[in-house]
Amino acid sequence: MIETRNLSKIYNPGKFEVNAVDNISTLFKEGEFTSVVGPSGSGKTTFLNCVGGLDQPTSGEVIISGENITELSGSKIINYRLNNIGFVFQAYNLIPVLSAKENIEMIMLLQGVDENNRISRTNELLNQVGLYEMRNRRPSQLSGGQQQRVAVARALASKPKFILADEPTANLDSKSTSNLLDIMSQLNEAENITFIFSTHDQRVIDRARRVVTLEDGKIINDNKK
Amino acid sequence: MNILTLIKISWRNVWRNKLRSFVVILSVIFGLVGGIIMIAMSYGLNEERMNNAVETYLSHIQIHNKSFSEEYNIKHTIDNLEGIENAIENDSRVVSYSKRIILNGMLSNSNGSYGIQVKGVDPVQEVKVTNTYEKIIEGEYFKSKRDNTILIGKKLADRLNLKIKSKVVITFQDENYELTSLLYRVEGIFRSGNSRYDEANVFVKNISITKNLPNFSGYHEIPMLLTDIDLRGDLKNDLIPYSSDNIVEGWDDISKDLAYANEMLAAVLYIFMMIILSGLSFGIVNTMLMAILERRKEIGMLMSIGMSRFKIFLMISFETMFLSIVALPIGLIISYSIVEYYSVVGIDLSIVEAGLENFGVGTRLYFKVPNQEYFIVAIMVFVISIISSIFPSVRALKINPVEATKTI
Repeated sequence: MIETRNLSKIYNPGKFEVNAVDNISTLFKEGEFTSVVGPSGSGKTTFLNCVGGLDQPTSGEVIISGENITELSGSKIINYRLNNIGFVFQAYNLIPVLSAKENIEMIMLLQGVDENNRISRTNELLNQVGLYEMRNRRPSQLSGGQQQRVAVARALASKPKFILADEPTANLDSKSTSNLLDIMSQLNEAENITFIFSTHDQRVIDRARRVVTLEDGKIINDNKK
Repeated sequence: MNILTLIKISWRNVWRNKLRSFVVILSVIFGLVGGIIMIAMSYGLNEERMNNAVETYLSHIQIHNKSFSEEYNIKHTIDNLEGIENAIENDSRVVSYSKRIILNGMLSNSNGSYGIQVKGVDPVQEVKVTNTYEKIIEGEYFKSKRDNTILIGKKLADRLNLKIKSKVVITFQDENYELTSLLYRVEGIFRSGNSRYDEANVFVKNISITKNLPNFSGYHEIPMLLTDIDLRGDLKNDLIPYSSDNIVEGWDDISKDLAYANEMLAAVLYIFMMIILSGLSFGIVNTMLMAILERRKEIGMLMSIGMSRFKIFLMISFETMFLSIVALPIGLIISYSIVEYYSVVGIDLSIVEAGLENFGVGTRLYFKVPNQEYFIVAIMVFVISIISSIFPSVRALKINPVEATKTI
C-alpha cells in the first residue's frame, strides 16, 4: 500500500514559488492499475517522482507498506528504489550497449541475485513480454514498442512492490501501445503488481481501473471504475 | 552487481563512439611512442657519450699519484708501480691496462700555440685500452719507426693548421720546473667524436719523452678496462692498499659531470614523460566529459533504478582507464619495435655533426631503452589514467537523476 500524506513540493521556495504538488493525500492499494492524468504542468511527474523517492518533497510523507520513505536518504533510498520500485521511462532508457536480456538482468545483478535465479527470472520475463526470441538483440535492433516492453520487463525484474511509469506510451504507435497495455494488464492481474501511470494517452486512461486527475498540483478528481 | 559486469558495461561503453575513442587512443599511442623515442634518444646519446669517453680517454679505472692529480708536476709518478702491475696482471677482472706519461704543456708551430695534455704511451699497450687508433682519419697510428711522432686531434689540427708531417714543438716543465721543448712530427690526425678532447689531447710514444729526460722514470697514469664496468668499485678498493700516495678512481670519479648526467637522465626523462602524459590526460578527460554529457539521461536512469553512486563512479572510471589501457600495449609494441630497429641501424645525425662532437658523441645515434623503462612508463600511463578518471567520474555523480531523466 502506498500512502501520501499532505505531500507538497514547492520549487524555488521563498522566491518565485511554484507549487508543483500541493498538499496531496491519497492511497494506492496493492494491485491497483491507476492512471494519473492532467494537463501539462499539473504536477503529475513531480508527484510520481516524490512517490518513487527520486525527489524529496518539501513537506508531507510518502508511506509505502508502513515505511516513510521521505525519511530515507543517501544509499538507503537508492537501495529502497532498487528493491521496491520499478520504473518505466517515456524514452525507454535502456542501456544501449547491453542486450535485451542483459538489460533485464542488470537490475538483478545490482540486487545480488544468484545466477540461476537471475537467468530463470529473465527468461520468464522475456517470455511474458514476448521477446524471448529477441533476447540477444541490443536496443538499437528493437522497435520502440519492443524496447518499452524490455523496459517493463526490467522494471519487473526486481520483483518491486509497485511500478511507476511516466508516459510509457508517449513514443509508441497504437499497435505497440495496445500490445504494451495488454502485457502490463496481464502482469498486474497475474502478479498483483501495482501500476501507477502518468499519461495523456486516452487509451491508457481507458484501460486504467482508477483515474486520478491533477490540476495545479492538487487532486481534482479521483474516479474508480 | 559484480565488478566484472561493471567492467563489461564500461568496455562496451568505450566502443559506443568508435571514432571518438579511436582518436583518443591514437593520441595516447602517439604520445607514448613520442615519449619513449625521446627516452631512447636520450639514453642512446648519453650512453654513446659515456662509452665514447670511457673508450677514448677515461677507461674504467685510472690510477695516479695523489700529488700529480693536484700539481701536475711530472716528478709525481705512480707509487709502488711494480706491486700494482703485478696485482693488475693477476686479476681476472682486468681485461687490459696501459701506462702513460702525462705532460701538461704547450703545443706550438708557426701558426700559434695551444695548451694541451700530452699522453706518452706505449703504442702496443695503448690500443688495448683506448680506441684512438680506430679514430685516425688522416695518417697512421704510430707506424713510423721514428720516436718523435705525434698524433693530434682534428680540432687542434684545424686550429693550428697542422697537416701530416707538420712539425710541432711541445713545451713543458720538467721535474726541476725548467722549461723543456721537444720536437715532433705529425703522424696521424684523429677524430674521437669529442671535439673538446680532440682540441686538447695529443699522443706521443713514451720513449720520446724518457729519451729526452734522462733523469725521469716512472708513469703518471694507469688506465684499465675491466670485464664489467660495474666491477670498478670492488677493484678500486682492492688496489687502494698498494700505496697511500696513489689515488684510484673510477670513470665516474674522474668525470663527475658524465656520472651526474647519467644519474639525472632518468629523473629528467620521467618528468618529460609525465608532462606528455599529463597533456594527453586532458584529452581523455575532455572526451569522457563529452561522453557523460551525452549520456546524462542514461546515467540518471541508472541512478533512478538503484545503481549506487560508487558503482556509477567505478563504471565511468573504468571507461576512462580503458582508453589509456588499450593504447598502452599498442604504444609499447610500436615503441619497442622502433627502438629495437634503430638500436641496430642507428640514425644518421651528420647534419648536426659539429654540435654532437661538442657534446662528445658521434654522428650515428643508436636508440637505447633499458627494459625497466618500459615497465615504468606503463606504470606512469596507468597512474595517469586513474587520475584522469577521477574528474569525469565525480562529474557523473553530480548528475541529478530527476533532471537527467526529466520524467521518471
